[in-house]
Amino acid sequence: MGPILLWLLLVLSLLITVVKYLMGIIMRFSFPATKAKKDYTYEPTVSVIMPCYNEGKTVYATIESIAKSNYPSHKFEVLAQDDCSADDSYEWMKKAQGDFTNIRIRTGRNEVNSGKARSVCNALQHSQAEVIISIDSDCIFDPDAIRELTACFAEPKMGSVGGRVGVRNPKDNIITAIQTLIYYSAFQLYKIPENWTRSVCCISGCLFAIRRELLLEIEPAIRKRNWFGIPVSQGEDRFLTHQTLLRGYGTYINNDALCWTTVPNTLSVLFKQQLRWRRSIVRDFFFTIKTLPQHVWKLHPNTVLTLVLMPLGVLVGLLLVLTALIEDPLSWTGPLPLITALGIGAILTWIVKRYSAREAVAHPLAFGAYVGWSMISSLFLTPLALCTMDSADWGTRAIDPRTTESREVQIGNARG
Amino acid sequence: MQSAHYKLVLTLYRVFAIAVLYAVLIGILVYAWIMGFYAVNTSWAAPLILSASDEKSLDFREKLVTSQQTIEDLKVDSDKTGTSLTEMKEHRAALLALAPQLRDAIAREKAHDSKTGPELAELDKEKLSDNAKTQKVLTQLKAVQGNINKDLEAGLITKGDAAQQLSTLNQAQDAYTDSKIAETLLTDSVLDKTTTGTNTLNVLEKQAELQSEVAQLDIAIGVAEKQFHEDTRQIARLREAIATAKQSPYYLNASGGQTLYFAFVPYDNQAHAVVGSSVYDCYLNMVLCRNVGSVKAIFPGEEQVIHPIFKTQIRGFMIQMTLDHGESGKSKTVFLGSKPLWF
Repeated sequence: MGPILLWLLLVLSLLITVVKYLMGIIMRFSFPATKAKKDYTYEPTVSVIMPCYNEGKTVYATIESIAKSNYPSHKFEVLAQDDCSADDSYEWMKKAQGDFTNIRIRTGRNEVNSGKARSVCNALQHSQAEVIISIDSDCIFDPDAIRELTACFAEPKMGSVGGRVGVRNPKDNIITAIQTLIYYSAFQLYKIPENWTRSVCCISGCLFAIRRELLLEIEPAIRKRNWFGIPVSQGEDRFLTHQTLLRGYGTYINNDALCWTTVPNTLSVLFKQQLRWRRSIVRDFFFTIKTLPQHVWKLHPNTVLTLVLMPLGVLVGLLLVLTALIEDPLSWTGPLPLITALGIGAILTWIVKRYSAREAVAHPLAFGAYVGWSMISSLFLTPLALCTMDSADWGTRAIDPRTTESREVQIGNARG
Repeated sequence: MQSAHYKLVLTLYRVFAIAVLYAVLIGILVYAWIMGFYAVNTSWAAPLILSASDEKSLDFREKLVTSQQTIEDLKVDSDKTGTSLTEMKEHRAALLALAPQLRDAIAREKAHDSKTGPELAELDKEKLSDNAKTQKVLTQLKAVQGNINKDLEAGLITKGDAAQQLSTLNQAQDAYTDSKIAETLLTDSVLDKTTTGTNTLNVLEKQAELQSEVAQLDIAIGVAEKQFHEDTRQIARLREAIATAKQSPYYLNASGGQTLYFAFVPYDNQAHAVVGSSVYDCYLNMVLCRNVGSVKAIFPGEEQVIHPIFKTQIRGFMIQMTLDHGESGKSKTVFLGSKPLWF
């Protein structure tokens, strides 16, 4: 029974991962439909909403990168909202507002910590733009990013568009090197089959563009998000993407819209970040299962498959590692997993170096450590996520214990 | 109302989550401990229950029967070869015993011939001379015969006297003829005695045949002896193999009617596998151990089994245990010599 289960899980895992990547490779080069029609003459008004919490000076660099955007400055604005940072983030926002006068920047500060999703919703009330771009306050944006995102809205049924997230600190250590390769392959390959049917299941919150009217339609659902009465502020990007799809709109990742993020360089921070992501995956899976008939009737089969299989992969990963540990505890010590990981790592390293030199990693063989990380991730993260669904902890930033209740906030200090 | 419902669900969830997380934590610690324990422990053995229909045992039994049958066949062949060998040796000995007699007879005859040959040759010469003289006398007797006839015609003598005289003359002629025959026979005898004749050659041929037969027997005896030794060696080897096989747990299992308890011991744990040492069975494969029997026998052959915990293939050997508690034979592991954690 054991070996059969193990093989079954292995086959399922291959379907979820290897097959998806292979499809990504094939489609990327053979299916023009995986690329959306872009119309650069389409220049809607844009509000770049930037919630910020404890980012310090980074927020200044983020606003600076947006200020350097080549999108017509009169067509976009920045709504920067500090979510009760305990550091000097707000001061840096104010400084950026003073320094980058070529664009319209509005800054505000929440009275209480409200979380990213609610901060975006609150800021939305002060925007009249046609397209809302929600960004992370620790990212640096490519000058073409806004233009690339808005160009995709030329397709009338396009609801949300995301950009590719690159890693700013690939050379920090092994942890960042691994993440660099994973980020790169995820955007360049894994999401391609989803792009084909305009049904990307999770657009990264680092760079997320959505039609204003659609966001307004979804906003009540965002505000109502809770888990048995506990407000849910995590995984807003996955939630928004999912809601976009359910409302009959398309979702798409434009790999030409670039932004650069600083990924965790310590295991503890990485673990917390991954735990947060895992919770949102599990939550999304439960939601999908709960409303499966609605999904089946409304969405493209590829979308349903992705929405079900991807989160299922997390559970399969857990079962796979558990079964392997019980049935064949030393299987992971054999040379095959390491050689496979090193091989994949070497190929990805070469590809990244060839096509995105900025993200080239220092240690090509570091990907071998991914085998260890995969085991820890599969074994611990899923059970922990399942058992801490009531947690509102963001994980990677400290939350002020005084501020737990959501309140309406104001955007002020408009300039320009 | 909904708030109370949520509170209840949340409380239950949190209790459940805490229990699950602690269970996971304990599970991980126990798992790590078991892995570590079996990585360093050198006294464990893995009990094996061999059923009567065990494939190896049946195979073993079949091979054993075949080997015994082969021994029986070889013994029959060997006995036949032995008997044949004895007969051939006796025959050879008889032939070898005949050879000197023949040789002596030939020598004796040769010696006799060498002595009588010249004598006969001399006598032959004398006989020849005598016959020549007799022939001369017979020539003269022909004239006498003529005179007798004349005397008869003349009536000087009676017919009876004439017949009597002629008969005497005829006897002389007859005696001469006999003498010539005797001379010829004597010449033959001289020839036989002084030259190598066909009789001698026949005797020599017989001698050569005798020697050839002995040589052929030697070859046949050599082959038979080789076959006999080969059969004997083969029987000894098979008996040795069967004797070794009888020391196998599979033989014991195949031949014995009672339940026997065996265990696999990896080579790393060899030091603890001593005949007479105690066998301990433990709860959770490591704690609250009790003495359940002792090691009865150690089998020399190498075995390869799957590690009960690590699931890797390992090498070792089998032991037979005497168990007071048969259930311990079904345990995943038992410990030899002492309790692994002293309790």
